[in-house]
Amino acid sequence: MQDIDTQIRDLVAQIVEKTPDEIKPDSRFVEDLGMDSMMALEILAAIEKKYKISIPEEKLAEFKTLNDTLAVVKENLAKKDNHA
Amino acid sequence: MLNIEEIFKILPQRFPFVMIDRILELEPKKRVVAIKNISFNEEFFGGHFPGRPVMPGVLIIEAMAQASIILFYESKVSLKEKDMIYYLGAVKVRFSRPVTPGDQLKLVIEPLKILSNAAIVKAQAFVADTEVASGELSFVAKEDAK
Repeated sequence: MQDIDTQIRDLVAQIVEKTPDEIKPDSRFVEDLGMDSMMALEILAAIEKKYKISIPEEKLAEFKTLNDTLAVVKENLAKKDNHA
Repeated sequence: MLNIEEIFKILPQRFPFVMIDRILELEPKKRVVAIKNISFNEEFFGGHFPGRPVMPGVLIIEAMAQASIILFYESKVSLKEKDMIYYLGAVKVRFSRPVTPGDQLKLVIEPLKILSNAAIVKAQAFVADTEVASGELSFVAKEDAK
């Protein structure tokens, strides 16, 4: 299985309709990749479904780059594991 | 459960673009079931297609979207008594059977994610319990600044 960084990069690439290698860890979603709020919502929903986690709406504002997104997801996954 | 007068209190659309007639089931944040009766008198059948009436797939999507608006509105206490305009963001729908005069379209919508001003829903359309279309819609809601 691919690591989570690669999985989320591929997922973002698919939604913003770019190739995965165009998504750099620090590419800015809006300015560099042309992401809009609808795409951000799709990414949030896709991540929640894939990892069976629930990310609060306020965290959506933190999804500015791939690195930011990974940080939120990993934090959330860690919480989930602690509860398990 | 909601008749057309009650639907009009929520939906901004009016004739000739009201694509649901009645809400049968409504469970905020969980599910809505709506119906749209399809009659040969529908204006679009005149041109789609002459002599072979088939409901345009985009109007099935519209019916899904309008049912989704009802679900979204009823799931959001904060929206009550505000004039909202809804914009579709993305649509991913597959059509499996044509819808023709005499059919009753049943729309079943379940949310995948609801935010304060946007949502992604799973949408299915049935005729007599056979699925005719299914997919996902995402949309945003904005207050109408008139």
